[in-house]
Amino acid sequence: MPAPATLVSERLCGELQQAITTLSWSRDGEFLAIASAGGELLFLDFRAGFEELLQGDRDVSLDSIGFSADGQFLMAVGQAGELLLWELGGSGIRPMALEPLPLGAGWLDAALWQPDGLLLAVAAGRQVRLWDGAKRQWRPDTLSLPGSVQALSWSPDGLQLAASCHKEVAIWRPTTPLADEPWRAPTGSAGLALAFSPMGGLLASGQMDRSLLLWPAVGHVRPWQFSGFPAKVRALAWSDQSSRFAPPLAVASGDSVVLWRQQDKSSQGWKPEPLIWHQKRVTALAFAPGRPLLASASADGTVGLWDGRGRLRQPLEGEGQGFNALAWRPDGRHLAAGGDQGRWWLWPMNIPQGSAGRAPTSGKGFR
Amino acid sequence: MTFSSAVPASERLPVTVLTGYLGAGKTTLLNRILTHEHGLKVAVIVNEFGEVGIDNQLVIDADEEIFEMNNGCICCTVRGDLIRIIGNLMKRRDRFDHLIIETTGLADPAPVIQTFFVDEDLRDELRLDAVVTLVDLHHVEQHWEAEEVQEQLAFADVLVLNKTDLVDPSSRQAIEQRVRAINPMARLLTSSNADVPIDQILGVGAFELERALSLDPGFLVDEHAHEHDDAVSSVAFVEERPMDLERLSKWLSDLVAERGPDLFRMKGLIQLAGKDQRYVLQSVHMLIDGDFDRSWKTGERRRTEFVIIGRDLDTEALRSGFLACVA
Repeated sequence: MPAPATLVSERLCGELQQAITTLSWSRDGEFLAIASAGGELLFLDFRAGFEELLQGDRDVSLDSIGFSADGQFLMAVGQAGELLLWELGGSGIRPMALEPLPLGAGWLDAALWQPDGLLLAVAAGRQVRLWDGAKRQWRPDTLSLPGSVQALSWSPDGLQLAASCHKEVAIWRPTTPLADEPWRAPTGSAGLALAFSPMGGLLASGQMDRSLLLWPAVGHVRPWQFSGFPAKVRALAWSDQSSRFAPPLAVASGDSVVLWRQQDKSSQGWKPEPLIWHQKRVTALAFAPGRPLLASASADGTVGLWDGRGRLRQPLEGEGQGFNALAWRPDGRHLAAGGDQGRWWLWPMNIPQGSAGRAPTSGKGFR
Repeated sequence: MTFSSAVPASERLPVTVLTGYLGAGKTTLLNRILTHEHGLKVAVIVNEFGEVGIDNQLVIDADEEIFEMNNGCICCTVRGDLIRIIGNLMKRRDRFDHLIIETTGLADPAPVIQTFFVDEDLRDELRLDAVVTLVDLHHVEQHWEAEEVQEQLAFADVLVLNKTDLVDPSSRQAIEQRVRAINPMARLLTSSNADVPIDQILGVGAFELERALSLDPGFLVDEHAHEHDDAVSSVAFVEERPMDLERLSKWLSDLVAERGPDLFRMKGLIQLAGKDQRYVLQSVHMLIDGDFDRSWKTGERRRTEFVIIGRDLDTEALRSGFLACVA
């Protein structure tokens, strides 16, 4: 059997002053935004080949950023407790900052755009608030939880919004004309990561008490519970590759990654496969869109690229710094990563044309 | 459960927990620390919004939130807000040297302390330096019955008797005695306007076993000076005969299993039979940590000193339990 081709043979990188907290691509893959623990926000426009620091180091962290699905807005939230928004005019046009919106709820670290819409969910203390990009204002209705909101996830159709806090997960349908009561399920601890599956309507929650909860369908009060993880379950990623049953789910806990696959529909149907390689905490997980390729980032200064069978295809090195964040370009052919000393990387993947996956958009602008 | 972390203490960021009843002077002390030229870059997490009158990017508001980890037992409660906020803050840890947590006047210090030993992330990234409790000499007698006041005294490693300018020496002495009866092992400082030497507050190392003991020898002799009937009290034992480690461990683990919620803190410096090294141990509720320390020095008085601070302590039962551990 011939050795598999090297996935990564070149890179692009840059430097911010403080640790990278998060990275985010626009839907069309033309823009990449990178935020730091000092509040820096770097905006890269690949088509026009220009970059701009939208904010410099203010020593006030930014922790969650994202582009709206239509590419109209870039949002950022963090330590200052404000929602920051920029209006984007397309490639080659400078983003224009809108007036910051204070929320008065302390440090904000979770905010998420609706997958295909213009609603932005922001975790603000014990509430989830919605900013409506179409009307450019806050919606009056909010989702209240009994504790501080720890994580958010939208269903792929954008109709359901899940939020977790200590001892509860709630699901809200904010766009239903008749305001339904949110569906609420008790949990044993705080949910630190939430993720709806891209298909099949499952919801996964990574818990502080070292367990994983999996609701086979929303409305099922009793989730499957998988315990015995080595540490808090802090990151989740669903594969978008279709399968007979649910798509594979990657879970990060301590220094291990566990790949879960559903073999049958029973509660015993989920089989874990530990991917043991990292030596320190795994900080981020992401499947390449349209490909059975998983990236795992770790504080040990490595990113692992794993194939669909859980084999390590290629290790990537962080040049002495640990990794905090990962983001795949929507074409699944470029991976961005952020380091704990401020360095960011962009790795183009050498994926043969015609290999599994959606039709990729061009990688124009990369060298 | 123990206090230990796989990461050496020197690599972890020191944390000071600042407690004290309403009006005791916590904010004044914080402002002093933030403006004092001590060469330390200090980050502060406050639970009382808008109190610190200094515009500083490293003063962070957090909304107190208790996480019960296990059937609501006090010994397993931690502070969820601190886990989240400190997790975010630690991405900038090269930007500051010391972290201070200011609790509200009504906060129970135990969940704050336990967070730094129980939470897997914080345990490996931070080390609790000391619990500093401010006491309002002028008003403490009015609040003495408040459970929070007695608990904040009980958990302290450093007690700052503040507003000494507002009381006469005899009432100060009476309060000091009453405070000492609850907590005989804390370092005692007296101040007006919370003006205390910063190096007596930060960098104390109270939870490092080798520095854990700073017993007041006067108190140990004077162990029956109970004039007050406070719910929270302490007992101290001094034993010249060497102890048996196995029996002592068994006694202590049974004791915390049974009385953990009422046992706030214990500290001990133990002389073990047949060992040339000192053994030191301490506890917070059900968390116990013990280890061998240095060798006894020549001419040093070899003896065991042991202090228990708790609620509704049965002195005689504790004494007989302790004495049964003599080798």
